[in-house]
Amino acid sequence: MMRGLLTLATFVSVVMFPWPLSALLALAAAFLEPLVPLAAGLFADTLYYTPQAGLPLFTVWGLAVSIVVVFVRSRLRTGIIR
Amino acid sequence: MKRTFLAKRNALLSSTGLSWGAYALICAVFVLLVRLLAPNLFWQTLTPAFNAADALAAQSHFFFSSFGDAATLSLRNEQLVHENAALANENQTLLEKARDIAALGTAAGIRAGVVARPPESPYDTLVLAGGSADGIRKGMEAFGAGGVPLGIVSSVSADFSRVTLFSAPGVVSNGWVGQQSLPLTIAGAGAGAMSASLARSAPVAVGDTVFAPGPGRLPLGTVVRIDSDPSAPGVTLHIQSSLNLFSVTWVLLRDTGAAFVGALREATSTLP
Repeated sequence: MMRGLLTLATFVSVVMFPWPLSALLALAAAFLEPLVPLAAGLFADTLYYTPQAGLPLFTVWGLAVSIVVVFVRSRLRTGIIR
Repeated sequence: MKRTFLAKRNALLSSTGLSWGAYALICAVFVLLVRLLAPNLFWQTLTPAFNAADALAAQSHFFFSSFGDAATLSLRNEQLVHENAALANENQTLLEKARDIAALGTAAGIRAGVVARPPESPYDTLVLAGGSADGIRKGMEAFGAGGVPLGIVSSVSADFSRVTLFSAPGVVSNGWVGQQSLPLTIAGAGAGAMSASLARSAPVAVGDTVFAPGPGRLPLGTVVRIDSDPSAPGVTLHIQSSLNLFSVTWVLLRDTGAAFVGALREATSTLP
């Protein structure tokens, strides 16, 4: 439930609220759903990207956060000796 | 033994299938495709959402900006508090002054409406809607708007009183004329006019103001004509009242001692 709410809130925030709040929500959601920052970044660039901006920074930063979170989660997860 | 792959160990997939993040990513890709393939549909669909976002941003900006100048508001509040205290003190002072003036009784004067004036009333008299019941006494002096002396209360009943104007025939009053404040005796000439005699060499011109004694120098009228008879040693000043006596609607009555001075004039020959 919390995952769904955070994901929806992030997407709504991308449309309705300033980007710092969206980034904060995406970061919070990332610990439960690592793909949310990437999805939110892609969504933000879909809405606001202009060719003059060069790199789609929202997507790049979302991808970077998602990779970092996946890495951190893999380190924190309890391992099983095989 | 067959080993199954534990899907729940995958960070991107849950045990029941796709995670919320995966759904979100699919949705984002779908929206991106819509924008690339059908941009018109994309912008038409999202325009209401952007409008709502703009309205929300404007409202929130207005709300937060009201807290932005808290220091200025605090300063202004402090300034208003000081001004309020100063005004309260001033108000208290004025109240005390008003109380003191009221304690002097007739010094503040009694305001009375004029119910009849020339030509309804006898010429050079005013009938006032106030009498002894209102504190009006015989001998009080009547002043018009601007403190212009008009006459003396000559008779009083319970509810009405009559003022004989300085312009009434036979009424004599004292005053000054001109910038050098030359003293002169003013006699009523009737019909709102007054006259006075002065030495021929006196520097008086048409338009000079004639003052009467009171609390200070009060403008009684203006010199409108100067008659000079070669056979007479002086000139005659014709004086018109500063107020139009036909349109006086109220007067202020004060006891200035005019009746006492008039009685004294009759009792002794030392006064003019």
